[in-house]
Formats: sequence, structure tokens, C-alpha cells
Amino acid sequence: MLVTRQLAELEGLAVGDEVRLAGDAEGARAQTFRIVGIYEPTPDPMRLGSVPRAVRLHLPDLLALTRDPGVPAGAEHVDAINIALVDPDDAEAFSRDLSARAPGALARPTSRAAGAGSTFVVLERFHAAIAAVTILAATVFLLALTIMLVNERRETAGVLRLIGLPARRILAQVLVEGLLVAGLGALFGLALALGSEALINRFFQWRYDTALVFVRITPRVAATCLAIAVPLGAAATVAASWVLLRPTAHNPRGGGPGSRRGGLRLARR
Amino acid sequence: MRVFAFAWRALVRQPARSALAVLGVAAVGALLLDMLLLSEGLVLSMRELLDRMGFDVRVTAGDAPPDAGPAIANAAVASAAITALPEVRSVTAIRSEEAELEHRDRRVDTVFLGVGGAPRVWTILRGREPAGRGELVLNQYAADTLGLDPGGMVSVRAYCGDAEAPPPLAFRVSGVAELPFELPDAASAATRLGDLEEACGAPGAGRADFLAVTSAGDATGAAAAIAAARPDLRAFTNDELIGRVQQGSSTYFRQISTVLATITVAFALLLIAVLLTVSVNQRLGEIAALRAIGFSQRRVVVDVLCESALIVGLGGALSVPLGLLLAAWLDAILKRMPGIPIDMHFFVFEPQALVVHGLLLAATAVLAAAYPMRIVARLPIAATLRAEVIS
Repeated sequence: MLVTRQLAELEGLAVGDEVRLAGDAEGARAQTFRIVGIYEPTPDPMRLGSVPRAVRLHLPDLLALTRDPGVPAGAEHVDAINIALVDPDDAEAFSRDLSARAPGALARPTSRAAGAGSTFVVLERFHAAIAAVTILAATVFLLALTIMLVNERRETAGVLRLIGLPARRILAQVLVEGLLVAGLGALFGLALALGSEALINRFFQWRYDTALVFVRITPRVAATCLAIAVPLGAAATVAASWVLLRPTAHNPRGGGPGSRRGGLRLARR
Repeated sequence: MRVFAFAWRALVRQPARSALAVLGVAAVGALLLDMLLLSEGLVLSMRELLDRMGFDVRVTAGDAPPDAGPAIANAAVASAAITALPEVRSVTAIRSEEAELEHRDRRVDTVFLGVGGAPRVWTILRGREPAGRGELVLNQYAADTLGLDPGGMVSVRAYCGDAEAPPPLAFRVSGVAELPFELPDAASAATRLGDLEEACGAPGAGRADFLAVTSAGDATGAAAAIAAARPDLRAFTNDELIGRVQQGSSTYFRQISTVLATITVAFALLLIAVLLTVSVNQRLGEIAALRAIGFSQRRVVVDVLCESALIVGLGGALSVPLGLLLAAWLDAILKRMPGIPIDMHFFVFEPQALVVHGLLLAATAVLAAAYPMRIVARLPIAATLRAEVIS
């Protein structure tokens, strides 16, 4: 039989040891098994913190161990049967066919087991929702900060307008600046995430004694972060600058704070 | 109050910046509150569900939870022995199996509960308790799916872990009830333990998944008495079961909430500190002028602290209703996980979380103001005024 790593460590079991297993608490009809291997159980996020005390037996051994004395061999039942198809693409059709031919049996493709309601999909949605709120908070703060920074550069913008630079040219400059700052910030954030990835995984794997991977920065995740952070950062900078340089209703061609007269007013302030 | 009024005027003078800062704190504060609610939500919810059932000790045949371990053989004998203990008020044997219910070509798979003894573990919504032989109660989902009302007949084919299912039995629906630990969009039915055994084709089998015990007042004493009287059985108080939940499934969410709460507070601290620092740097001339006309160093420092307190205070106050709305949304997302009962919640409000939330935000306000307060405290008045005049 095989023993989980955690159980082996807990009970001091090693490959080659012999153990006795019984189907009931009284130890009736116990049988001797030899440990031929230690295995890492498939991690389950819903069972974090609990030590997986499990063993794997050959099915005939398990049935012989758990069969009631009155039940003849071969009359036992199993919980499920896993089927590997010659062509995995036939899974849906095969499931439908089997369900029709064997009423009472529930056949479904394994791909559907991890469908929209699976634990991992729900956790992914939960984390996405948390990320959305964090991005919202970060955007609000970023806007507040850029408004203050733009106010600080009011004089510079006014002088640039006075020496003849059009508002659009200044906005373009601000956009490039915003893109650069946002890009550098996003890259720094990615580097920080990559640097802490192994640290977080090691800590939680040690904490819960599991092989579960908690954080994984995939290229898709990195691309999503960049795709959100860079445009958002640049947009916040431009939005804040636009307040300063926008044309007004009195002069759509730039008579407001972005006009030359407006520039003079800005420079004076 | 004067200091606060002065700080308020400083905020109002820059409405866009101040409004955005307050909104930012509100969003971060809402997330922080949610993480605090999440850290203990599952445990509180589980405790509420267990308490609502009315039992304070569960007796099983092994160390595994009541629904996952070996069954108790001779449950009637065990029940009688436990009922005789002076520490025990009542004992109810509970067994759960799977079954298929059929009514006029409509079929539904259900969890089928058999309950021996009183009190009942369900709440009747319509109809009455199953009183006679061959009667059961359905949950609302099962009643709706089968189109059944109290008084209707339903065919039950139970699957009790044997190789072959016994022939179906006809049951009369005595009522529609709310059953414990009901899953969303899942059918449940319940009957007397004897009727479940008949449906399983093994009348008088006397098996139970667990015994639900109501103590005479002292749950721990009752559990100890049961363990002494029946050493082959394990007795868990509700607190012990809650402890298992704390070590098990709730651990992940507790850790997630700790990590996210820490990041959220650090994030808020950093951003408020940056906002205040930039704001103070922009007003150095003004602050130096105030010092020159007689404002004390302490006064201008307290002014910065009050500004921070106002931003965090207003944002924090806004974050509570926002956080509760957000918690409802996040709870709805998490409840789509398989196997989560309808009445189980991940985010549960408790006053203690609100107190911790307030304390964390207050600490954030003070710490975020520390650096700008230092700038203001060390401001050289004459040099700053001269620099302002020259520029």
C-alpha cells in the first residue's frame, strides 16, 4: 500500500514497514499490508490545516478488508469508475450514451467536474472581485495625487502655453510622461510580485504542510496587470491635466485655462 | 474644535483632492472591514447553524466529522444508554442517505434524512410533522421540483450504500420544512429513522451517522459523561466542532483575510502619507506665514494630524455601509462554492470587527500623518518665507 507523506511523518512510517489495517474500530478481521511507497496527496484548498491521513490500497484488497462477512466476493460496490477514452473528445457523447443505457448511473466528463461552480473557479472569481475593488481604490488615490501634482506644475504649463506650445502638445507630453511613470510602476510591481511569489508559496506550504501552490504569476496574469495599470496610470495623468488645459465653452479653440491668456493667468499664479 | 475647523477649511479649499482622498479611504476601508468580517465569518456562521439546531453535543463512532465517519451500530442501545445519563436532556439519532424521489414522471435526487427521537431538526413551513408510518417532509426545492404539496404521495427509492437499491416505497408528504444544512438548488427530505430503514430495505438496522444530544445545561460535562459511559463512541461539543472548522476550511479564508487586511492597511498608510506630504509641501509658505504670525509649532503639527484624521474619519465612516454592501456581493460569490449550505455565510457582521476596523483606521491616520507632521515641525520659518518671496 501507499501512505501519504503527512501520515508517514506523523506515525513514523517508512517504505518496507508492515502495518495492520481493519475495517472497523474494534480491529476485527485486520490484515497486514506492506508500505511500498510514500505519496504526496492531491492538495485540497478546502482541507487546509487538516493532516491528510490517507492510504492507497489495491481495490481488491480494500474490498476484501471492508466486505461484510455475509457478502460474497464480487458483490461489493464502488463509489465511482474512472474511464479513459480512446478519443477524449468523445467524452460528452459517451457520457450521454452511458447514462441512457444504465439508468441510475451518473456519467459526466471530468472536464465538467471543474465547471462554473467548482471551488477553484469560485475562488478565482472572489479574487478577481477583490482585485477590482483594490484597483478602484488605487485609481481614486492616483487621481487625487495627479490632481495635486498637476496643480504644482500649473506655472510650468502656463509658461509653455505663453511661449507658443499648443494645449494638445502639452497634453501629449503629459501622456507620454504618464505612460512612462505608469509603465515603470507596473514593472516594479511585477518585479515585486515575482520576488515575493516564492516567498509566499514557501511560507504557506510550510504553514499548512501542503504542496498547494498559492501564488503563480503566469504570463497571462502579468499581461493583465500591465494592460490595466499602464493605461489607467496614463489616463489618470491626462484626466488631471485636462482640467488645467481644456478649452472652454466661450472659446472652443482653447480660450479657457489652456489658452494663451489662460496660460498667462496660470504663469502668474 | 478650532483646530478641526481650521483643518476642515484646508480640506474644503482643495475639494477635488479631498473628495478623492476620502473616497479612496472609503474604498480601502470597505475592503479592510470585509477582510475583518471574513476572518471569523465562517466560524461564526457555523456556530449559529449548530446552535440553531438545538443540540450541544454530537456523538459519533470515530474521530471523523458526523457526516464522514463510520456509522454507529445499535444506535437505539447507544441512545438509551446516553439518555439515562443525568447530564443529558434528550438524544436524537440521525442517519443520512441518498434517495431518488418520483412523482408523476418528475424525479429528483435528494439527501434523505432519518431522525429517531425528539426534538426534530427541521422547521415546518407548511403542513405538519411526519406523525404516522410512511410520512416524510420535503424541503421547498424538492416540493417545487416535484410539484408536491402536503398530502401528496411520492415514491422513494433509497440508495443506502448497498450494491442494489431496494424497491421504491410510497410516502405521504406531511409537510414542507426547512431542513438543517440545506444546499441551494438541492432537494432534501426527512422522515422518521424507522421509515428510512424500511426505505433502505433493512428495517430495524439500528444504524445512525451520529447522535445529537441536548445536555441538561453543561455541554462539556455531558460530553465527558458520554465518553465515560460509552468509551467506544466520541462525543464532541459544539465548541470542539467549531475548533475543527477553525483548523480546517476556515483557515484558508482567515489567512487570506489576514494577508489582504495587512496589504490594505499598508496601502492606505502609504497613499495617505503621500497625499498629506505633497499637500504640506505645497503649503510650506502658508504654514511658515502662520508660524510667523504667532501659530505655535504644536498647533501647526496638530493641524496636519487633524487633516489626516478628517480624511480617514470621513472615509472610514463612508466605508462601513460600503463595506457591508461589498460583503454581501463577495458573500454571494463565495456561496457558489459546492457544498455550502444556504444559511452559511463567509462574511458575518460582529461589533468586534467594527471596533478593530476603527482602531486600525485611527492608527493609519496617526502613522500617515507622522512624516508630514515632522516636515511641519522642522520647518525653518524665515528661510521658507524668503524662498517663497524670491520664487
